[in-house]
Amino acid sequence: MGHPFPSRGWADAFRDAVNQNETYRKHGKPWTFGKVAMAVKATPERGIDDAMGFVLDVHQGECRGIEYVKGLGAMDAAPFVIVADYDRWLSVIRGEVDPIKAMMEGKLKLTKGALPTMLRFVESSRALVNSATAVDTDFDAAPQPPA
Amino acid sequence: MEPFVTLGPGAERNGFTSMLAQLVRDNLTERPGKKDTLRRMRGRVALVIEDLQMVVTLHFHDGGVTIYDDFHGIPDTTVRTSSEWITKMSLVELEPRFGLPDPRGEVAREVAKASADGAIQVTGAVAHLPLMLRMTKLLSVVG
Repeated sequence: MGHPFPSRGWADAFRDAVNQNETYRKHGKPWTFGKVAMAVKATPERGIDDAMGFVLDVHQGECRGIEYVKGLGAMDAAPFVIVADYDRWLSVIRGEVDPIKAMMEGKLKLTKGALPTMLRFVESSRALVNSATAVDTDFDAAPQPPA
Repeated sequence: MEPFVTLGPGAERNGFTSMLAQLVRDNLTERPGKKDTLRRMRGRVALVIEDLQMVVTLHFHDGGVTIYDDFHGIPDTTVRTSSEWITKMSLVELEPRFGLPDPRGEVAREVAKASADGAIQVTGAVAHLPLMLRMTKLLSVVG
């Protein structure tokens, strides 16, 4: 059975998917620039009354841990924050959009962190986000906010 | 005077203009030597990103750059390619002495091949070679 997005269960499955992604392991090996947060904007009509998201402790091609948090302030510790609305993230998880193209179109936004660094790691950034397509997601389930 | 990086009126409706502005600003912060490069640039470069159906114009003037959605004025140089190659072009290796594209670099060779194959089409580059070389340096994230 799939995990609702976003939810604690989805976060853990995403961490596992990142760590099983050989492309990420290869291209992310030189990454030593700190945590990356992926935030879902507040979308009240979808039951998301405040931003929520995941803070990935990524280092040298490995995801050492993942936090599931509420509010953009809870993601302050991450030097890189990528923000999009709920439906956009669902498109990414379904594999319908390339995350780098989505960034160029302004659909995914790097709201914190140096863009040149992300571009230097364009293949690992793409692989990191694309790991979400490997998560067994229940697209019909309602989001489950962090406890 | 600090070089400026601004968006033209209404340019924010094109997500790529904001991304380009952020890239230039971050590059100037990370590598202050690029400020002199930007100050010396004059002219207009249009980027046509075919798969995203987007056009942006970078107008280099008065020591800075204004980035417009769509064509703005008559471009001196036009680059027509895909979003994939636009990203790759920012990864072209630069040789350290003059900051020019390094023809020995892996990505530089890929980009040269794509240009020869027609995947990247550039018009007006020969007549405005200094502008193109400086833009490559300005947008490069690897040198």
